[in-house]
Amino acid sequence: MEEAREEFVEYYAKNMGGVLGWFKARVYTIERWLYGAHRITGILIVLFMLPHFYSTGWHPGLWGDFILGIIVTFHIANGIRLILAELGFVVGKPLLVKKPSQRPLSLEGSQRYLVALALLLFIVLAVIWAYYALIVQAATW
Amino acid sequence: MSTEAKEYTLPPEVLEETVKASEELWKPIKKVKFRIYKYNPKKDYAPHWEEYELEVSKGMTILDALLEIKGEKDHTLGMRYSCRMGLCGSCAMMINGKQMLACQTRVIEAAGDGDVIELRPLENFPVTRDLATDFTSFFEKHKAVKPWIIRDEEELDNPTGPYKQTIEEYAKYYQFTDCIKCGACLSACPTAATDYEYLGPQALAQAYRYLVDSRDNGLDERIAVVDVAHGCWRCHFAGSCSDVCPRGVDPAQGIQLLKGLIIRRKFGFKPHKPTEALPAKIAKKKEQ
Repeated sequence: MEEAREEFVEYYAKNMGGVLGWFKARVYTIERWLYGAHRITGILIVLFMLPHFYSTGWHPGLWGDFILGIIVTFHIANGIRLILAELGFVVGKPLLVKKPSQRPLSLEGSQRYLVALALLLFIVLAVIWAYYALIVQAATW
Repeated sequence: MSTEAKEYTLPPEVLEETVKASEELWKPIKKVKFRIYKYNPKKDYAPHWEEYELEVSKGMTILDALLEIKGEKDHTLGMRYSCRMGLCGSCAMMINGKQMLACQTRVIEAAGDGDVIELRPLENFPVTRDLATDFTSFFEKHKAVKPWIIRDEEELDNPTGPYKQTIEEYAKYYQFTDCIKCGACLSACPTAATDYEYLGPQALAQAYRYLVDSRDNGLDERIAVVDVAHGCWRCHFAGSCSDVCPRGVDPAQGIQLLKGLIIRRKFGFKPHKPTEALPAKIAKKKEQ
């Protein structure tokens, strides 16, 4: 009983955000939402890979195929943005002079345009995939 | 020449206007309910929330409100503050779910249209009591990246002259020197939510600050600390650290530039050759 109490107290005293902390995006910028979505899509892709590696003939079905494609296209589009940002290409240069309430250049500079481009790429790829999965591929079934 | 001090008074209309503006700033205009997280890990089984109602004015900050609550309503309230002007970084806390400095946030602005303000201790930091959190591991992480100029000991012990630095070289790191170590960035970081050992945005941005300093010669030493499993590669650019930073330090930018620097270094590129110490005039005079 005493041990259980200690664990309970430790949980609150540590005050860690935990897995739910990944998705607390409400008060932050759009990059945090994309971070959460990138995590979920990444985990779902790994989950799909397990049966896929077990038997490559396994198929998630018509709608499953469609959803998987959407997930993968998002992960690709956002992944391209992340690669460019994380190599330091679009995050801007450190400032020598700051405004009194300076907003971060890494978020609100050219990186924001890249976010828009990534989302646009996602929509384009998703529409193409939806057309292929739901109309072209479904006709052959 | 008369020694009498000349008494200076404002023109009456200016004085009246100033008094009026000041009265307006401190006149109670709204009742706001403060929901405050109360928890003492040594005594309590679980945290609970306490509510206090205060009449607030236009100029009142969250810290003013907390001090009023502590003075008049609940003297057991635990919190940390020091300078009251956004320079020390002691009073960072979660105000309505977002990391902010209590001394720089006005109650009216934080409440917005509503009339409830929720105050929590910084997430991802162990709670000491109520709104005060334990910064031991945060400072240890900061120390781990060696936040000082690394040079040959001979030059540091017996300096022969100042180091030359151009404004361009200075501009590379100046932004990151504004960090006040308030902990808001580590608290907002989603990676730190599940990884206790992650160095965090503050330490990584400081590592970059010293790596690009033209006087520094600690490239290999410092990269050995940040280019590890719980180092800079855990950052996935959620950008929340820069979003909450009260000083505009932009740690996310620093971490991404640090990653680029490490990758370029793997291809044999070094950010700079440490500058030579300039011959000092004092040293020359001594020789003469």
